[in-house]
Amino acid sequence: MKRLIGNSEVLTGRIRGMTTVLVLLLAWVSLSCAGMIPADKFPPPNVVVRTFIELIRSGLLAKSLASSMVRIAEGFAAGTLLGFALGTLMGVSRTLERLFSPLCNALRQVPVIGWIPLVVLWCGVGDLSKIAFIAIGAFFPMLVSTFQGVRGVPGRFIEVVRVFEFSTLRLLARVVVPGAFPDIVTGLRLSLGTSWMLVVWSEINTRSGLGIGEMLWSARMGSKLDVVLICIIVIGLVAYLINEVLGHVEARLLVWKRSYR
Amino acid sequence: MEKQGTLQVKNLVKKYKGRSEELLVLDNINLSVEPGEFISIIGASGCGKTTFLRLVVGLESDYEGDILLDGRKLNGPDLNRGVVFQDHRLLPWLTIEKNIGLGLKETKSPEARKTIQEHVELVGLQGFEKHYPYQLSGGMSQRAAIARSLVNRPEILLLDEPLGALDALTRMYMHQELERIWRQEGITMIMITHDVDEAIYLSDKIVIMSSRPGSIRKIIPVPLARPRDRAGYDFVKIKEQVLEEFHLHTEHPFSYTI
Repeated sequence: MKRLIGNSEVLTGRIRGMTTVLVLLLAWVSLSCAGMIPADKFPPPNVVVRTFIELIRSGLLAKSLASSMVRIAEGFAAGTLLGFALGTLMGVSRTLERLFSPLCNALRQVPVIGWIPLVVLWCGVGDLSKIAFIAIGAFFPMLVSTFQGVRGVPGRFIEVVRVFEFSTLRLLARVVVPGAFPDIVTGLRLSLGTSWMLVVWSEINTRSGLGIGEMLWSARMGSKLDVVLICIIVIGLVAYLINEVLGHVEARLLVWKRSYR
Repeated sequence: MEKQGTLQVKNLVKKYKGRSEELLVLDNINLSVEPGEFISIIGASGCGKTTFLRLVVGLESDYEGDILLDGRKLNGPDLNRGVVFQDHRLLPWLTIEKNIGLGLKETKSPEARKTIQEHVELVGLQGFEKHYPYQLSGGMSQRAAIARSLVNRPEILLLDEPLGALDALTRMYMHQELERIWRQEGITMIMITHDVDEAIYLSDKIVIMSSRPGSIRKIIPVPLARPRDRAGYDFVKIKEQVLEEFHLHTEHPFSYTI
């Protein structure tokens, strides 16, 4: 339990964070009850709670969330793996960097949304195109972060293992990738962020199948503000929790770094 | 067939090719090192001693002349020549024992684990095997680096100012440790240092290098019995010889004994 809570500084920080949320909740409840918020601009808490229970009971919330998360998982995995692979290769080989750098630099500045026509043309409007979007969005941050991490590995470490007659593969696995790890984790965080954004976007754009973004957009069409609010809260909460877990994993794996003490 | 650990440097010339000019870094270096010898190289900063060391290790190539280990030409770095750098260069993401075992082909077998444990004990780091480099002091880290360099039993160990980053007291303690390790392992050692006392305490021969371009000015033998007395008469006499080469000696217009 102590490990979960952490030391007292972390605990104070967490309590402070929760206090802000609680204050906002209290404000919402009290202002709604006092009738100071018009019900058509912002739903009152009792309506929201009722709708929430209804969504849970019908299983719609769970199913939608699950569908979105599966898409995120697949797109994120594909995008980050490719980004990691190309980033590492470009990082260790100056030739490859010179070959691919201009193209990558140009393409990564295109907003992912700009890919809509091509992706929909090639992948249709089903799950595949949504996953493709997410993969594109996850690919570029991971590529850049991995590349920076690999280039940032000090040459003096590489010299050490040259003396030990390390093969290139062993050099990559024992020195380059571990040395680049902090930047790689940053890349994962950034890619996760774009994945969330793009899953909602792609669901809104290709109105097919279940999903949390789809649920949000349908609710908007039917002016069901309570559902919209619930979707926003759920997305925010789940994304926050995933980030927290990633942070813990990161701290465990980077225990060797002085700044993590 | 030469004995293990014989180094011969013949007419070594190293030029640095800049954009508009060519800089002569090492000029006609000739040096012979017998197996098991401890050699120190002393020279002013920038005289090319580190370049020389890197050429012998194989981290730099592109030279004229010959560098022969046991009669064979060098071909890049290999396990026969170990190196200890001035900064310990322990991999921060590995524990001390994993760092020490870095040069081994595999570390799971009982033999490998025994070798690693032997070397941990050789440098006196028992109890710190599972620690990370950031948890160790400078002296301890450098000791781990020395253990790491010895784990493959190289014929020659090259040390580039290995104790330069340590405080004076730790350094003197490390002199004794280095000598003990050298005696135990019987490895040929070539050490670059700025510390004259250190060179005299540890070496069989002291190579004095002059700078710009780097060349060997003089080789001073140190035929003293070990362990050496830093305050002893013979020690100080040799120190005077070395300091004279750098014009750092004190003139004694006359001296007399009664």
